[in-house]
Amino acid sequence: MKSNGRSGTRETAIAAVALLIVLVVPFVHRSPAFEDFVIRLSAMALFATSLNLLVGNTGMVSFGHGMFYGLGAYAFALMMQMTELSLPVAAMLAVLFTTLAALCVGAICVRLSTDYFAFITLAFQMLIYSVIISWQSLTGGDQGLRGGLPRREIFGFDLASQLHLYQCCAVVAVLGLLALRHISASPFGQTLRMIRDNESRTGFLGVVLWRARLWAFTIAGGFAGLGGVLAALFVSGAYPELADWPNSGQAIFAVMLGGINSFLGPVLGAAMLLALNDVVARVTEYQGLVLGIVILIFALGLRRGVLDFFRVAWSKDSQ
Amino acid sequence: MSAVITRRTVLAAGTASLLAAPWVARAQANTLRIGMQSILSGPIALLGTSSRNALMMEQDRINAAGGFLGRQIEIVYRDSKGQPQEAARIARELVNSSGCELLIDAEASSASFAVQEVVRSLDVACIHTNSETSSLTADPKIRAPTAFRVARQGVHDAVAGSIYLAEYASAKKLNKWATCSPDYAYGRDTTAQYLQFFKQFKPDLEVITEAWPKLGQPDFTEVITKLIQAKPQALFTLLYAGDLSAFVNQGNIYALFAQMAVATPNVDYPVLAAIKNLPAGIQSATRYLETFPDTPANKEWGQAYFKKWNERPTNWSWQNTVAMQFYEQAIKKANALGGKALAAALTGMKINTPFGVDGTITMRDDHTTIGYAIGWGQTIPKEPFIVDVKAADWGKIIELETEWKKQQKYI
Repeated sequence: MKSNGRSGTRETAIAAVALLIVLVVPFVHRSPAFEDFVIRLSAMALFATSLNLLVGNTGMVSFGHGMFYGLGAYAFALMMQMTELSLPVAAMLAVLFTTLAALCVGAICVRLSTDYFAFITLAFQMLIYSVIISWQSLTGGDQGLRGGLPRREIFGFDLASQLHLYQCCAVVAVLGLLALRHISASPFGQTLRMIRDNESRTGFLGVVLWRARLWAFTIAGGFAGLGGVLAALFVSGAYPELADWPNSGQAIFAVMLGGINSFLGPVLGAAMLLALNDVVARVTEYQGLVLGIVILIFALGLRRGVLDFFRVAWSKDSQ
Repeated sequence: MSAVITRRTVLAAGTASLLAAPWVARAQANTLRIGMQSILSGPIALLGTSSRNALMMEQDRINAAGGFLGRQIEIVYRDSKGQPQEAARIARELVNSSGCELLIDAEASSASFAVQEVVRSLDVACIHTNSETSSLTADPKIRAPTAFRVARQGVHDAVAGSIYLAEYASAKKLNKWATCSPDYAYGRDTTAQYLQFFKQFKPDLEVITEAWPKLGQPDFTEVITKLIQAKPQALFTLLYAGDLSAFVNQGNIYALFAQMAVATPNVDYPVLAAIKNLPAGIQSATRYLETFPDTPANKEWGQAYFKKWNERPTNWSWQNTVAMQFYEQAIKKANALGGKALAAALTGMKINTPFGVDGTITMRDDHTTIGYAIGWGQTIPKEPFIVDVKAADWGKIIELETEWKKQQKYI
């Protein structure tokens, strides 16, 4: 393991180059479809990568991560519709709200063993989803929060413009992923991996297990909320589907497809899932069937996520 | 000026136009793509495919007549599964990547609101063909400059239904009513809206019990026994599609229809097909009926649809057909395809169509249609399934709709 300082600089440099490339593309060639894809990927990448902080790093499989994605979207959309707050302030408050919600939910869930943890996160998601559906006067019920979001300009940026939204989402996603990377590479991230590998031994070392898990759960919830904010910007509203369990399933798919042991695995998984969905939707109505077969091929053929597969293959080659 | 036009200029211009002619012709020969998105998979895919069937017939008809502005049309179909996020993505993809110049949004409820926001940011005309939620066009904050609705509107149906049912209830002296509607926003909001108008026309109306089955509930035993035990004189239900046919089939076992009068606005041909023994005497609205309006044009369209697809059309089918008829007339009038030009042409436009109560349907200034056929009658077990259909009074509908809009602070 390289020193944190050196690897941190290298990662920041990689992130800066990636961001630069993404930002330059529209000036070379405008493709609305590509820009839409990047906007959706930004939301999904944050969502899936934050889930992987739990699944891959800590060994906590949460089936209810979608609730924080949905809560982020609703909190942001409601603040934009009901208050005069500026967009960044509303976004930050939405993330803060989601983080607090994750703290409360996590306080109840994280002490449970793996199986029960998975069940109770799913139960909480269903609870949140039911509240969204039932609290019609606030959330619009199953019709969702309609009427669009007022796109107040921020520093000359008008997010009603697709280009500006694209730039904003790319910057937020790259910064968010970089932050998650730093968390994952930090001593705290190492502790989480220790818990995943052998929780008894970690406990004997003096680590308070539930506290570390709760931190991980809260941070992951906050970043999922940030993903939800971007999703709300894309659809100009918030809909219960964002907080429903199939959405959590999408994030789990993305993580498994891309690879749980590579930091960028969930990002690649999210990109593959979105691209597959877009291509398949053009060709057939049996999307579920096609997606299921593709995922089955990856799972049975590679036996691990795509990026994990290549990493293993690469290290075998170099030996 | 004539001095400027020399022989050379004329020659050059002539050569240029000769060279350019194939390009112009090719540009004109380019197919005009129209994007259509709907629910084409899942439990209510039947409604989405019935929209697509109707549009395919319209495509053939319009192309046979020379297309739009001399260009043949091609409708591009996409399945959104009814998910708002996917609906927003598809609407943008249809315009930005698939080169669609017009949109038909055949989504239901929440997805149509997501599409509305996409349309707001693009200069493209869009017609919502299936969303009945009134606020989509009634609320000026939600209405979009280039988006229109060619579909039933919840408030219109509620007024028409309540007037009919109030007369029916008074004639039969039915004061004690029960309701049974799906437990989600549409079911609860629309039931409340019907009851509000119903009570306005029949103040002594009393609702003695309410049942709220879940959407897609397979077993209605509990609901049916609850309703029978409450002993209402009549039942109003907003169940629809598979839920309604399951409810009627199971209600028949308990002889529910012999114990109370029943009224529903949601009987459609596919529901009738799925009911084993349709009880006679259910008070029912006509979503789409070949015999209402009872005109040769309506019957001809219904039968042509049946002949082509071997199934009967739904309410969504006629709505999509009328959307294409509106596009056809608006494009002729505006001689353009741009969102703003078409919006100007569509606003206030009146077209001749078999689905209008008087053979016409009008696109009102608030981007929604009026004058479409709304009728109530009673069921019989065999064709034409609904008889004694009375047409609703559009004057009264608009009067009460205006009152409702004022209450909602839309105007």
